[in-house]
Amino acid sequence: MASVDADAAGSNGTMVNSAANPPAPSPDRYLVIDTVRKEFDGFVAVDDVSLTIRKGEIFALLGASGCGKSTLLRCLAGFETPTAGRIELEGQSLIGLPPYERRINMMFQSYALFPHMTVEQNIAFGLKQDGMAKAAMRARVDEMLSLVQMNRFAKRKPHQLSGGQQQRVALARSLAKSPKMLLLDEPMGALDKKLRSQMQLELVNIIEKLGVTCVMVTHDQEEAMTMAHRIAIMEQGRIRQCAKPDEIYEQPNCRYTAGFIGSVNLFEGRIDKDEKDFVTIRTSAFPDPIYVAHGVTGFEGMEVAMALRPEKLRISKHEPDLKHNKAHGSIEDIAYFGSHSVYHVRLDGGCKVMCNFVNMKRWDSESFTWNDPVWVSWGDLEGVVLSS
Amino acid sequence: MSSRRSGSTSTWLVLGLGFFFLYAPILSLIIYSFNENRLVTVWSGFSIKWYGELFRDQQMMKAAWISLQLAFYTAWASVVLGTMAAMVMTRFRSFRGKTLFGGLITAPLVMPEVITGLSMLLMFIALRGLLGIELPLGMTTIWIAHVTFCMAFVAVVISSRLSELDKSLEEAAMDLGAGPVKVFFVITLPIITPALLSGWLLAFTLSLDDLVISSFVTGPSSTTLPMKVFSSVRMGVSPKINALATLLIAVVSTVGVIGWYLMARAERKRARDLQLAANQ
Ligand SMILES: Nc1ncnc2c1ncn2[C@@H]1O[C@H](COP(=O)(O)OP(=O)(O)O)[C@@H](O)[C@H]1O
Ligand SMILES: [Mg+2]
Repeated sequence: MASVDADAAGSNGTMVNSAANPPAPSPDRYLVIDTVRKEFDGFVAVDDVSLTIRKGEIFALLGASGCGKSTLLRCLAGFETPTAGRIELEGQSLIGLPPYERRINMMFQSYALFPHMTVEQNIAFGLKQDGMAKAAMRARVDEMLSLVQMNRFAKRKPHQLSGGQQQRVALARSLAKSPKMLLLDEPMGALDKKLRSQMQLELVNIIEKLGVTCVMVTHDQEEAMTMAHRIAIMEQGRIRQCAKPDEIYEQPNCRYTAGFIGSVNLFEGRIDKDEKDFVTIRTSAFPDPIYVAHGVTGFEGMEVAMALRPEKLRISKHEPDLKHNKAHGSIEDIAYFGSHSVYHVRLDGGCKVMCNFVNMKRWDSESFTWNDPVWVSWGDLEGVVLSS
Repeated sequence: MSSRRSGSTSTWLVLGLGFFFLYAPILSLIIYSFNENRLVTVWSGFSIKWYGELFRDQQMMKAAWISLQLAFYTAWASVVLGTMAAMVMTRFRSFRGKTLFGGLITAPLVMPEVITGLSMLLMFIALRGLLGIELPLGMTTIWIAHVTFCMAFVAVVISSRLSELDKSLEEAAMDLGAGPVKVFFVITLPIITPALLSGWLLAFTLSLDDLVISSFVTGPSSTTLPMKVFSSVRMGVSPKINALATLLIAVVSTVGVIGWYLMARAERKRARDLQLAANQ
């Protein structure tokens, strides 16, 4: 009962809104998600999410499992009706439209290939629903098959294909109708690691070649970073940050994002001095305050966290010639990854920091060993001050 | 070594006893159907004359024909209604009374047949008395009663298949532009065909050998095969019944073997296909 009422309220709201300010479809506001909320029996799966997606963009929703990203994607596809909020594609509301009336196609995590149809029939399925003529349909199916390089397998049934091949067919099927938007739910979820990185690039190539706008969902940060133009980090139904991959990595806006993407050293502390062009932060980890060479919005005494990526830290045997931002400690653990090593340094203050060391020379990694006394240091601009 | 041997001996013994209890009666029934003597228990030579007698028995043949027709129509109706019930139970969003609905659908599974039969009879009488709907007791009423309880079994078989079916298949079809009705007929039905087939066969056999419920709602001109057999056995066991039973066993086991063979073949084919896919 409750959901029916909510639907009616939602579509009313949309009508009032579009009458007040007529939609101005611009490529920058191709898909507009406005305070979309989805509740399941009182449990809030998607919590007032607002996003704007550009035409031709590959956009990733990234978050831990269970954070509500698939639910949001399913709201876009039409399988779930938002409890509240607006979704507009090219200025037209999607609320109330069933999935079969949206020009949006989705590639499912399990691929969902119809087991009783051949590869060809799977790809033709969507075209058939549009009542396309036989000859045109055959041409389109051939075109899609060559796009994903699966012509040889046209007559196969899905269970006669390997995982990677099934994914190609699923992609071809969801692109066959030239949708206005392509949705990908955990596109690499069913593939093994080696195939993943290859398919990620291939998928991006195909999507960019067609110029189709794409929203993908993943819990794999590497996948999001590789494939997407922009990433939204989701946690417990909310968007924590939405930015380009490098911005997300280099300028996280909160502790959650900083910790979720890559690895990070977080130091809790308070703003000590808050000047116009620098701040200092007093932490328990370091004897001296941390020096940051830019101003921040805050006040003296405010609780903040300092985020330092391990690769921004330098490790050296001798005390570096710096006024600030250095500490002494000893090496407690070494994780060797081949291309680089991660040293876990126990500072004299008792705190542990991670510090990357690129193994540029073949025998360099042996220059530090367990329990060596070392100095760690970093530049004045390398840390990020986080207030939330 | 010797303890293991004695262990396996006792295993074989138990197994043998089990099989004996299960199949000795059936075996003796088959053997005695070829007995020449009219006394069932006295062997006096091989003959197939009782099979001839059986086919000349007009009443028996009529009852068999009625039963086959009933089973056929019951199977179809049960599959249609059972599939609908299963779809409601597994596919529809939760609505008020959904649990109750599921319980009511499957109640006939555990209901004593006597009660089902009696309540069906009372319902037919009430229909005539209260609503003036004239349903003469006979084929139609037996059919309705059979469908009522067979449908429950079919609904269980099909809903278990439906609930393990990947829902994203149906969603994918909808996503590609097919409406819900089309999705059901083009995607769901073809994929669950094996379950439909086994539901159909189940309903067919359940209806074919039902005695209790049929007896309650039958009329004078529609005696089913189990009813006929039961009443003729009360007059004294005739070797004809042995012959009939042997034929039924032959039919049932042939269907079983064919079903098993088809399944094994499909399984082998699947294994081969998987091999093929893995080799690329
Ligand atoms: N149909 C549903 N009914 C009830 N709860 C649901 C339903 N779908 C999803 N949820 C809940 O919503 C939350 C988010 O789910 P989902 O969007 O699938 O997460 P993920 O980010 O892993 O894709 C989960 O806690 C899940 O249990
Ligand atoms: Mg998910």
